[in-house]
Amino acid sequence: MSQVLPEILAPAGSLDKLKVAVLYGANAVYVGGQKFGLRTAADNFTLDELREGVAFAHERGAQVYVVLNSFLHDKDLLELPEFVLFLEEIKVNAVIVSDLGVVKTVARLSNIPIHISTQASTLNVEAAKFWKSIGATRVVVGRELSVKEAGKIKREANIEVEMFIHGSMCMAYSGHCVISNFTQGRDSNRGGCAHSCRFEYSLDMGLDTEEKKKAFFMSSKDLEGLRILPEFINEGIDSLKIEGRMKSHLYTGTMSKIYTEALRYYHEHGNFLSDDLLYWESELKKVSHRTYTNASLIEKAGAESIFNERENSTEAEWQMVGTVIEASPNCGIVIEVRNAFNQGAELEILPFKGQVINIIANEITDIMMKPLTRTKPSTLIKLPYKAGVESMQLVRQKANS
Amino acid sequence: MKLTTFAQTLHDLGLIKDQGLSEVILGHQEFSRFGKLNNDEFLELSKRAREMGLKVIFEWDVLMTENTFGGLANKIKLFLDSFDSLRVQDPGALEWSFKNTSKPLQFIAENGNHNIVALKGWIDHVQGRMERIVLSIELPRLTIEEYVKQLKVPCELLGLGRILLFYTPRLLLSPLMEDKFSYHETINAIGESEESPHKGFPIVENRHGTFMFHIKDFCLIEFAQDLSKMGLGFFRLDFRWTEMDLLKIVKGLCANSFEGELEAFKEKYPQDLMRGFYLVNKTDVLFPKLKNHRLQNREGNYIGEVMEAEKGSHLAILVKNPKGLSKTDKLRIVHPKGEIFEVNIFSLRNLSLEELDFIGPQKMALIQFVGGVWVKSQVFYQ
Ligand code: SF4
Repeated sequence: MSQVLPEILAPAGSLDKLKVAVLYGANAVYVGGQKFGLRTAADNFTLDELREGVAFAHERGAQVYVVLNSFLHDKDLLELPEFVLFLEEIKVNAVIVSDLGVVKTVARLSNIPIHISTQASTLNVEAAKFWKSIGATRVVVGRELSVKEAGKIKREANIEVEMFIHGSMCMAYSGHCVISNFTQGRDSNRGGCAHSCRFEYSLDMGLDTEEKKKAFFMSSKDLEGLRILPEFINEGIDSLKIEGRMKSHLYTGTMSKIYTEALRYYHEHGNFLSDDLLYWESELKKVSHRTYTNASLIEKAGAESIFNERENSTEAEWQMVGTVIEASPNCGIVIEVRNAFNQGAELEILPFKGQVINIIANEITDIMMKPLTRTKPSTLIKLPYKAGVESMQLVRQKANS
Repeated sequence: MKLTTFAQTLHDLGLIKDQGLSEVILGHQEFSRFGKLNNDEFLELSKRAREMGLKVIFEWDVLMTENTFGGLANKIKLFLDSFDSLRVQDPGALEWSFKNTSKPLQFIAENGNHNIVALKGWIDHVQGRMERIVLSIELPRLTIEEYVKQLKVPCELLGLGRILLFYTPRLLLSPLMEDKFSYHETINAIGESEESPHKGFPIVENRHGTFMFHIKDFCLIEFAQDLSKMGLGFFRLDFRWTEMDLLKIVKGLCANSFEGELEAFKEKYPQDLMRGFYLVNKTDVLFPKLKNHRLQNREGNYIGEVMEAEKGSHLAILVKNPKGLSKTDKLRIVHPKGEIFEVNIFSLRNLSLEELDFIGPQKMALIQFVGGVWVKSQVFYQ
């Protein structure tokens, strides 16, 4: 195959998640500092962690993009220069920006490549040309676009194009929802979104009946574009983004691994005619998600893209048990437990590449080697060593088992 | 300061003319989010407006994916002789209009654009063609004053009208209507949610998607004189959801607003009114509360995190600092609730339970148990 493959761009809400994403194969990660990004409640990176994260990713051939995608007020903008200089010093690969004032500030102070955030709702060739003329090297196009439209933007505006392939979706045109600003006093465009679109509403639609319609009518299903990978490749899309800096380690690892493996398969075989496709899809379903849709990737999202259900009604099939902290024949497999499991539990360890490693937890001890019949969250436990298990790998089990 | 408004009918135009306004904004149904005019109606209204001596502003404020954009960019050419200024919101529409027309341009900078660098950026980009910039209603008074002084082009601000909260291209109401609608028909609804303190959000679905508005309308009429003094160029009155006949009263109130009259107007107005963030915008003050700062504070002497605290036995610390952890290091441990513990290390072991003098980065270090320290406490060098 001679086609250039898009990069898989994974979310990293913390330094740990950055490492997980990179180890599970993501070609690039996007991260937020303590300010200027949209995930106010996220763990986010300190300056030291950013430096370490960039070094970790670069050593493994991955890129790091830093989100500066808030719509900044003047006072926020005054604090930006120092951070931009720091980002250039630690050699981040790009910044993701939605506000023209931020674009201008970054371009004036540094040579850091500028990616235009989906928050800017870049939807057409002319908008992409505008951003290119201002100095952007890439546009993260709006989720309202089809892959074909995005391909046209790439060709005609001659700019790198990034598209979302997976994750939760804003129902609104990104950057065009201020419900939280006016109803909760929290600026959604500076990270304060209260997710009012996920609420159930009673709707008086002026129908003959007195009855009001109750519906989660503004809530979107989650995006999933695995089967559309060939279209992305054919249209020359440069980067495929996975949403979810607030999501779990298991989510970050699973998404990075599955999309990377699928892409690699396509690269090697030139087709998707593989039973593996079903396996990859089943893996994507193992993490917590709303019902999946491909939204507007092929044609305009219709009624079937609305998630008319209460939040959390889609339980994950699998839950994260913990993370491998250390693994060696000497000390065994040490797991930081997030969700309790019992002796005899059938665990799956997600390796960085390839099929899962199955373990039956017959012999569990605490780290002082005292035998246990049940583990507790926020503790460390040991299992006997098994080849192939490495530190930072994720451990899961079937939910409710 | 001039008043500006929308016209949807010949009757509206007559009222606008009678009140001595000098311009009118016309919304074509394919270009304007809430425009109602078809081709013929637009051409007729624009002709009549010009005959009345009104300047005609063509509103192109829909956001467009590439497939829609091409069609509209072609179609607008039909109308180029029928308006005087072009008002856009999508950066693509701005770019296209700049390169393919010679019309004076008005840019709607209402979403975001809360800094002077951005506003100047839009103006500079079109090289002298920017005739007006429409400011965000989230800006507070002092900021508006500053922008009006600093910007080279006149600024416009909403003076009265609905507050748009949400805009999606997806059709969200029609799926609930079974078969009682046809495409392109406008559907109206009023929404409320038990999860929101506010009740009665107006919701509209039309050919461009679905829009939700605030339960109250925006009103700065009582500040019209103030805004005029500070040099605001245009004050926009939007009667598309109420009555154009209100124009006369509102114009009077803008010129001279006596408290009693304003109160009477507010009483009579079909919606409750609010001034939004005009006096102050504090929409970022809650952010610090959304974070646990002790978890965030990991700069400088940060070593790592307590992963296990086993009473009477040990603390397990994941060492994250590249310098590692030595037995001689003195520790400051910060509990998630803020309590601080100063700790000397008596025992340092690895996960194989070997007693060591040093544990390297990314390894687990076991030290003696310290009463009161919990999991997720952050550990620092003193
Ligand atoms: S409320 Fe929903 S649509 Fe609005 S910004 Fe938040 S996620 Fe997006």
